[in-house]
Amino acid sequence: MKSSSIVALALFAVLVAALLVLPGSLKQQMQATLFQLVSPVLRTGASVEAQIGGVSGGLKRLDELERENRRLRLENEQLRTTNAMLRGLEQRVNRLTQALGFREQSPFRLIPAHILSRENATWWSSCVIDRGSLDGIAADMAVVTENGLVGKVTSVSRNVAVILLISDESLRVSVAIEGTQEQGIVSGTRSSSNYLPELRIRFLSKTAGINPGMKVLTAGTGGVFPSGVLVGTVKDFSVRELEGVAVVQPSVDLASVRDVFIVSGVK
Amino acid sequence: MIRFFVVLSALIFGAFVFQLYLPPVLPFHGAAILLVPALYFYGAVALPFPLMLALTLYTGLLHDLFLVPQTGANPEFPAGLSAIVYALPGLIMHGFRPLFLRYRWLWHLFLAALSAVLTPVLLALSYAILSFARREFFYSDVIVWRILGPGLMSLVIAPCLFFILTPLALFLRYRPGLKGAS
Repeated sequence: MKSSSIVALALFAVLVAALLVLPGSLKQQMQATLFQLVSPVLRTGASVEAQIGGVSGGLKRLDELERENRRLRLENEQLRTTNAMLRGLEQRVNRLTQALGFREQSPFRLIPAHILSRENATWWSSCVIDRGSLDGIAADMAVVTENGLVGKVTSVSRNVAVILLISDESLRVSVAIEGTQEQGIVSGTRSSSNYLPELRIRFLSKTAGINPGMKVLTAGTGGVFPSGVLVGTVKDFSVRELEGVAVVQPSVDLASVRDVFIVSGVK
Repeated sequence: MIRFFVVLSALIFGAFVFQLYLPPVLPFHGAAILLVPALYFYGAVALPFPLMLALTLYTGLLHDLFLVPQTGANPEFPAGLSAIVYALPGLIMHGFRPLFLRYRWLWHLFLAALSAVLTPVLLALSYAILSFARREFFYSDVIVWRILGPGLMSLVIAPCLFFILTPLALFLRYRPGLKGAS
């Protein structure tokens, strides 16, 4: 082996080791910087994709009408999401009022965002949105639509942010199953993706009376996800040797969702 | 040589961005269409060892920053880990460099096929690391398809890219192993 090759190999090993020991926050920052760098390309790509979709739909619309339509649609979805969340809150308030007494709850502050791209990674499920720190987005904020939970924000740059989707195995959300006392942790599986999502709740009681069609809602523990947000519906419940396992169908179609809302806090 | 390295690095960067818009192949259980491995493996066989290592580090780091969500203080798959994942099949590919230097189209075709065979190795290694980090190993038909599917598609993609990259290298006046190569 040539001496230059040995030096190159040693340098490679040192650089890889240095990269691996970098703090997680710095890696998040590196990822955010990279997406900030390619954000103009992503925005152009998303608009081309939308235009292709428009042409394939056989419709030609004026830019102004399209913008207005988009604004109204966003407004409508925002109102519907707020409404759905308020309903969830109302149920929670009623339950707490009955059990513990009155407790004030506030509706959420939502920031609308558009999905620019979906990472087609084999083992991870994430996407990029067109909002960043300039819009008030921060890491660990929950992402929802009017249909339910989408995921959470991981890396944030000035104009774009990366969202980890609920179909990813590494995103774990504490949930409650409506109509039961059962609580558990829902997560995707390694074979899950945006297009073929598969969520599971493990470590449930074997005797839990869980039936297909029951709603799965966020429990609100952990501080990242607000309580009462719909995650999905139970598709199947099976009993293993030590635990009950529920398969959950996500309420949001992760393959086709385009507009999302980031929960930035309570009003 | 440096010019070719820079152009190949730019192509890999572009391929990562382009891949974001490629939908998964549902008949292959959602397997991804991957362009980057074929480009990388071409670099692994065409470039001298030090530059091949530089390309490995660059590709591995970009892979992790583009595709792996970097969550929390201790991410389960930290950025940079893919450099090691890419290095292992990359070194195998580099071992076949003498065949590449013969400049016979049949050998180039063989190397393109080899790069397609090594593509699932990248995915399998990532999966093994991920399984180790999550302390749970399982496999299913879907997992097998997600690993082998990109390799099958690469059997078509890699020869096309190889036969584009060789004229590109010549255009950039890079002809490795021959006197007078820049």
